[in-house]
Amino acid sequence: MKRLGLWAMALLLGLLVAVPVFAQEIKVGVPLAMTGPYTDTGDNYWKGIKMAIDEINEAGGLLKKKLVPVRFDTQEFAPERVMQGADYLCGQEKVMSVHAGWAGWGQDIRAYGKYDAPFFADDGSQAAVDVFKENPADFANIFQLTDTGINQAASMFRVLMALPYEYPNKKVVIIHADDAWGQEVGDTLEKNFKEKGWEVALKEKVPYGTREWGPILTTIRKINPAIIHVEIVSAQEVITFFRQFMKAPTSSILSYGYSIVPREVVETMGKEADGLIGEVPTAMPTPKAPTPEAQAWVDKFEKIYGHRPQAGSWAAYSGVKAWAAAVAAVGDETKLKEVNQYIATQGYKGETGMWKWDAEHVMRAGGDVPIGHYQVQDGEMVTIYTDPPTKPYLDFKFIKPRWIK
Amino acid sequence: MDGKRRILIMAVVFGLVALLPIFFGGSKVIMHILIMCLIWSVVASCWDLIMGFAGIFSFGQVAFFVIGAYASAIFSLRLGVPPIISTFLAGAVAAAVGVLVALPCLRLKGAYVALVTFAVHMILAPFLKSNMGRAIGTGGAQGLLTIPPISLFGYTFQNAEPIPFFYLTLVVAVICSLIIILVIMSHWGTAFLTLKDSEDFARALGVSALRYKLMVFALTSFLTGMIGGFYGHYVGMLSTRMLGIDLFVTLMIMLVIGGVGQYPGAVLGAFFTVTINEMLAPVGSYRPLILGAMVLILVLALPDGVVGLIRSLFNLGGRGARAGGRMK
Amino acid sequence: MEVIDVIISGMINGSVYALMAVGLTLVYGVSKVFNFAYGSFYSLGGYLAFSILSFKIFGGYVTVLVLAVPALLLFGYVVERAIVAPLRRWSSWEVKVMMLTLGLALLMDNLFQITYGARVKSLPVIVEGSLTVGPVIVSWQDIAIFVLSVSGMFAFRWVLNNTWVGLAVQAVAQNPNGAQIVGIPRDKIFAATFAISTVMVGLGGILLSQKYFVSPNQGWDILVKAWVITAFGGMGSIRGSLYAAFIMGMLEAFVGWMFGLTWVQFALFGVLLATLAIRPQGLMGKWG
Repeated sequence: MKRLGLWAMALLLGLLVAVPVFAQEIKVGVPLAMTGPYTDTGDNYWKGIKMAIDEINEAGGLLKKKLVPVRFDTQEFAPERVMQGADYLCGQEKVMSVHAGWAGWGQDIRAYGKYDAPFFADDGSQAAVDVFKENPADFANIFQLTDTGINQAASMFRVLMALPYEYPNKKVVIIHADDAWGQEVGDTLEKNFKEKGWEVALKEKVPYGTREWGPILTTIRKINPAIIHVEIVSAQEVITFFRQFMKAPTSSILSYGYSIVPREVVETMGKEADGLIGEVPTAMPTPKAPTPEAQAWVDKFEKIYGHRPQAGSWAAYSGVKAWAAAVAAVGDETKLKEVNQYIATQGYKGETGMWKWDAEHVMRAGGDVPIGHYQVQDGEMVTIYTDPPTKPYLDFKFIKPRWIK
Repeated sequence: MDGKRRILIMAVVFGLVALLPIFFGGSKVIMHILIMCLIWSVVASCWDLIMGFAGIFSFGQVAFFVIGAYASAIFSLRLGVPPIISTFLAGAVAAAVGVLVALPCLRLKGAYVALVTFAVHMILAPFLKSNMGRAIGTGGAQGLLTIPPISLFGYTFQNAEPIPFFYLTLVVAVICSLIIILVIMSHWGTAFLTLKDSEDFARALGVSALRYKLMVFALTSFLTGMIGGFYGHYVGMLSTRMLGIDLFVTLMIMLVIGGVGQYPGAVLGAFFTVTINEMLAPVGSYRPLILGAMVLILVLALPDGVVGLIRSLFNLGGRGARAGGRMK
Repeated sequence: MEVIDVIISGMINGSVYALMAVGLTLVYGVSKVFNFAYGSFYSLGGYLAFSILSFKIFGGYVTVLVLAVPALLLFGYVVERAIVAPLRRWSSWEVKVMMLTLGLALLMDNLFQITYGARVKSLPVIVEGSLTVGPVIVSWQDIAIFVLSVSGMFAFRWVLNNTWVGLAVQAVAQNPNGAQIVGIPRDKIFAATFAISTVMVGLGGILLSQKYFVSPNQGWDILVKAWVITAFGGMGSIRGSLYAAFIMGMLEAFVGWMFGLTWVQFALFGVLLATLAIRPQGLMGKWG
């Protein structure tokens, strides 16, 4: 019966997409992974985007017009799929803005840069910024919601150094995934550690799907490093690593970087995960948000979806709101260039404060939208630092992990 | 089905396709879909040639496609080879890899061949992402983002203007199809059929299994690699994401719909599958579910694909009747 | 001392692989069916256990076992009879079976995704804690996996050698037509084999999901690993698969330890290709 209902919903959804457009609607493009291995991250962005669209519609729409999301399944981000998404959403559906979440590492810039509709992405990739820099005038509609992997890694390093904790030695082990993100973070961390006189005792690139960590852990136990950084944004890999590490833990700070974000890490392990640290760019700090507006947002999100907002949800939400604010100011959603210009120069007043994109259209970490650094405490992610500038968050404290003697 | 009929069907199909831009030329999305239909039709045809006619369970077609795409991109980016030439070089690279893969496969049977060729597929992504891959210019995990478009006689085929590129692809697809038809019609085709039905008997007749298998591997990987190169220059970007399971399955579905060994069924299968895949896009996560169910139903109901169905409907007889016949 | 750790890691890998591969090789050996949905059957086991355990019923994993084995048996039998068997009468049915099971895999994986969501689901661990012998530490969970999969293999061998069905399966594997002539219902044996293999891989799914969790798209990894091991050991040879599983498990552990985990895949395929180049039928396989 449940499946029947789902089928009916799917049919309805299909009809919704197929229904002819009324004059009083504004179409918003949402290219996300809806199938395949990236479905879960796609869902996180969708939750934020949907929340923003519903909010705007409930408040009477944008310029009194109803926002209608047009979804596109980017599947596994094959290049032609990304290009097809741009041609479909911007070329055929003529959407007035595109909200993509993580969308690649530059291929998305090229595909959507051909059009003028504002495009919001959470690529977190220097490669994407490099593509932008080739032709800033052409790519004026591209807006990154998060800082690059390089800057995020630098931020992770700063916080690791700022922890109120005496490292027993200066040895670090870096384990990262063999994708663009893992590589960027791994390389940057390696550079930073070396500059500070640390020894990178092991830097290992591992494929996704690694779940047996015996060989690496054997090496790690011999090294006995002060820090182990793991950068593989996938739940199964990081949870199995942690559990196998805990069999005979070394006195090392376990830094998970962005790999802390799969919700399963805290949901599966609960208090078992206590002590892990990690980061989220463009973060909504929790458990206590920095401003009353932000707290209201978190509460609302939890009420709708029944769990804490995940990485990406708030960033994607803010992308929609930033665009809507620009459209309201310009007064015409079809004046795409002016909308872009407005977003780029005026920024957006969000729940935590001002959002300002830099000259490269990247939402650089800092100011009112810093990178949040978390530690799992009592089974939930707790913001202990924000960066840059590196400062402790409210009165939340770093707690020495239980496995460190 | 004799050669003339195959050529006739092909002429009709491609003739109709050639007219489509008149109706859909205004829509980039549809033109892109049509271009992808043509590109996949070549890949699916090659797969059909090797699997359906030569009876070799090669599962490496996507890998050869990606090898070609990368090779052509690297030739043009690193060595400045004009893309129109680099696509042929890419075909040659893919063919060389094809022969290399074929050599161990020739002594193997059935599922083993599938495994070895699929191993190439599995190993390709880690290789392209590795330091070795980066050293030859694959761009590592980031892939390549600045592949130059194809230029011919001073005209540049940009993906922003799909109609010229569509006709270019059509010409390439027609040439590839003609080559495949010629192979099927020639004594190669007969040799393959004999080999497939009874390798021992064919050997006794003096048909060299080794030579033919090597040749079919070389030819199909050449064509697949070349069209892969085309794809790279068309899209302008490449990454290892092509090697996910989605594309592999989609290609398989083209063969299921078209019918194995029912050329030009694979061409029709490519058009059908790409179109259905796009039409199902609005249902999101239900798309692969429906595709999967479709494969089940089609394999069970139409073991020889749509072409087999058409043939039995019109009672065209020929080889189809034999292929659809009961074994025991 | 590290070497001991690595060897233990290899042994655990090996026992896991053995459990994964044996069903695949059995079915191929008996009925020449190559099951592309094998990985999805593995996930099915995991999700079945997850669903049963989510009711918080009495008995925990024992109840899971009692309920899951007949369910998997039935599922495998029905799948074979309903969709695989009808293809046998067509020419080049082996390709068609591959295609069919590929479609089945797509269907099942996406059904899992829609029913259970894309997120990883976890099962409670069978046993907690770890055993310490001098400098060597092994978790009880790993020991349980090792013991259970090895005894599973023995149980499986016992069934093959001591029951009517098992003997019939062997007879059909050796000579399908001959078996039919002496009154063994060949088609039913094909289905029974398929059902047994479904149980084996499904139980593997349950056993491993409590360590590795369960997610909708994980099946492909399992399929490829099982496939490599089966081919290495020789398709259709159960003993070959067993050896192959432990050799590959050790290889993986040692390559990962000495050269890094990125090289594991290259090494596995390299060894496989080298073996097939010398012995096209795998370690202990027979032609046919």
